[in-house]
Amino acid sequence: MKRFALYLALTLFALGLLAQGASAKWTSDMKEGKAEFKSMGPLTFGPDGILFVADAKAAAIVAIATGDVKPAAGAKLLKVEGINQKIAALLGTTADQILIEDLAINPISQNAYLAVSRGRGPDAVPVLVRVKADGQVEVVSLDKVKFSRAELPDAPADAMVGQANRQSNPRRESITDIGFLNGRLFIAGLANEEFASTLRAIPFPFKTVANGTNVEIYHGAHGRFETRAPVRTFATFKIGKEDHLLAAYTCTPLVQFPVSELTPGAKIKGKTIAELGNRNRPLDMIVYEKDGKTYLLMANSSRGVMKITTEQIDKAGSITAPVADKQGLSYETIESWTGVDQLDRLDSKHVVVLRRVEGGSLNLESLPLP
Amino acid sequence: MLMTRIFKRMFNAKGQRVKGSKRQPRLFLFVLLCSFVPLTLGVEKAQSGAAVQSQFSIRWTPDPTDANKVAVEVSGLSEATLKRLQQANWKPPQWQRLLSVYVGQGSDQNLPAMLGVYRVQSDSLRFEPQFPLEPGVAYRAVFRPDQLPGVKGSGVAPITADFQLPPRSATPTTVVSHIYPSADLLPENLLKFYVHFSAPMSRGRIYDHIRMRDEAGKEIELPFLEIDEELWDPAMTRLTLIIDPGRIKRGVLPLEEIGPALEAGKSYTLVIAREWRDGAGIPLKENFQKVFTVGPPDREPPDHTGWRIQPPKAGARDALAVTFPEPMDHALARRVISVTTESGEVVEGKVALEDQERRWVFAPLSPWRRGQYKLVIQTTIEDLAGNNIGKPFEVDLFEGVQRRLASPTVKLSFEIL
Repeated sequence: MKRFALYLALTLFALGLLAQGASAKWTSDMKEGKAEFKSMGPLTFGPDGILFVADAKAAAIVAIATGDVKPAAGAKLLKVEGINQKIAALLGTTADQILIEDLAINPISQNAYLAVSRGRGPDAVPVLVRVKADGQVEVVSLDKVKFSRAELPDAPADAMVGQANRQSNPRRESITDIGFLNGRLFIAGLANEEFASTLRAIPFPFKTVANGTNVEIYHGAHGRFETRAPVRTFATFKIGKEDHLLAAYTCTPLVQFPVSELTPGAKIKGKTIAELGNRNRPLDMIVYEKDGKTYLLMANSSRGVMKITTEQIDKAGSITAPVADKQGLSYETIESWTGVDQLDRLDSKHVVVLRRVEGGSLNLESLPLP
Repeated sequence: MLMTRIFKRMFNAKGQRVKGSKRQPRLFLFVLLCSFVPLTLGVEKAQSGAAVQSQFSIRWTPDPTDANKVAVEVSGLSEATLKRLQQANWKPPQWQRLLSVYVGQGSDQNLPAMLGVYRVQSDSLRFEPQFPLEPGVAYRAVFRPDQLPGVKGSGVAPITADFQLPPRSATPTTVVSHIYPSADLLPENLLKFYVHFSAPMSRGRIYDHIRMRDEAGKEIELPFLEIDEELWDPAMTRLTLIIDPGRIKRGVLPLEEIGPALEAGKSYTLVIAREWRDGAGIPLKENFQKVFTVGPPDREPPDHTGWRIQPPKAGARDALAVTFPEPMDHALARRVISVTTESGEVVEGKVALEDQERRWVFAPLSPWRRGQYKLVIQTTIEDLAGNNIGKPFEVDLFEGVQRRLASPTVKLSFEIL
């Protein structure tokens, strides 16, 4: 019995080491302290409860080990009405002074994380908010957390303009979306001066950030001519055995390109696989499986959420000729899902959406995947 | 505490005035005045529960250094109660049951209390909100004596105290100070506008306040790339508005379906509505309009070899002027052109753009010296249609994506005599 206890203890110790090893792989170079932010933009979760937060104002990405790694207890569905009012009350202000910049679900704990701006002016304070499965809304303290930080390479390109703008550099790059795949963080951005849309890939842990990839994607969506249109949102997706990024552009063509092509300095020509009509801005996108088939779910500005089938994606040819409205992969519109600004997957059967209801109030709720 | 310290610095143990403390009376008076600030700066109203005109009282106390930082103090607690609170080792929800501050004055019971820090002081319990209070917003502090440790039953009704900082001045002062390009004849394939404001603005749903109208006053549908992140400069006094590239290209779907945003030969008005609020939450002083006419598209990359340099004379600090044959993008022309000496040393100075962004003017900080200089231009500079040096805005995919200059800069030489 004693020997059994010893074996058990040794096994548990070894398992502990293994588990520690797994998380140490991602957090060993993190430091503990106060994670400072000038702004909080797009969010995404990586492995082991690590949350990536884009700080466009500081031209940086911060990886935070949230420690929120207790697996969700069960399928408790989230519904918080007036989430913007609740957050405003916690932060001592009114709902019109709250902007919710992004939503990400921790895939382990299934808690929802929101990047919030308290205030709308230049002095706005970024706040990270967590909504637990029971609907409790709390502010995540960043005073003492394990984190690492990547300054974005080539951010404000004013190396040689010393004399021109000693006053202050008005250039800034916005970050429109971030995503994590196989040890790399993908960052889509757009500058406020030169018309440059970039997609960067930086390895995580962040030690080799200087080698960040900077690619330009051209997609021959509408005929011969194309420019560097900005990526609005993207999702990662396997086609056959190869990882792809599916990017939705501001005028809604859906473009795919293999992740393996995203190498430093590469100029990639993406393949346009769907035109989803216009007068329409994509807002957010996820990939999910149902009944053995893979779908894309896309929130957009002018119609209900779009459910896009990917069955023909490997066979889809590139759309290179002008099209009347929509072409390529077929989709259906989930009309009843109105006002959806943000979405993220909760589990294999549910998605969490942030939706605008009448009166300007925002609700955070889980819905069954369509 | 602060007042006691100042008093002590002013007078010694015998009550005699300390030398060199001439300035202290003013500081003493200031702090004394600040301690009455709740009555003068904000509106404070305490209401006792009906059951017991209790010994407890709530006081809103502004921080003397920051008027928006206001704490709540509950006095009238016995020494024994304060000691029990000190030892209670409570979690935030327990503290909140005893003392909490709400936005609004009890209109919505479902809203959570404000976040903040609780401190037990020698004679009071203090709550410091995590964020400063907002001017013009009503707050209510609620103290519930029946939640005190050791108190049983609910005989003592809660007491409340309301507080409100005076609202910000509601007089609109912020205006649109300029819209670039300054010219009133713009190419059909214009790429950007920069809207400059006289003070910082507010973010969120900004495109609701921006309209483009044709000659008949009809609104152009979705002319701009509406980017949720909004392309502001760090000071939030300049907004970049990009015309949807899908509506300024040849053969592009939106262009075919809903037509280009701008068409040659027609006139348009860009309107910034006064309802847009500035950074302080006050609407703009007035609407702003920019009326312009549209000319033919510009698909040619800018040619720097056609720029005319007018070098000033040596020994003075006169400005160097460079004239472009066409207007250039305001932000980029300011940022990506610089002057160096023959050996590559950067010449310090100030840049301005004149003549509707057709002339770049550089005033050096030190007088010019005789010799050879270079104008260094990053090829990312754009004309009004987004064409770069050596690279048109539209790339013909079948003729090659690579059609661009490898060099990030080009140079023009000039001589100061």
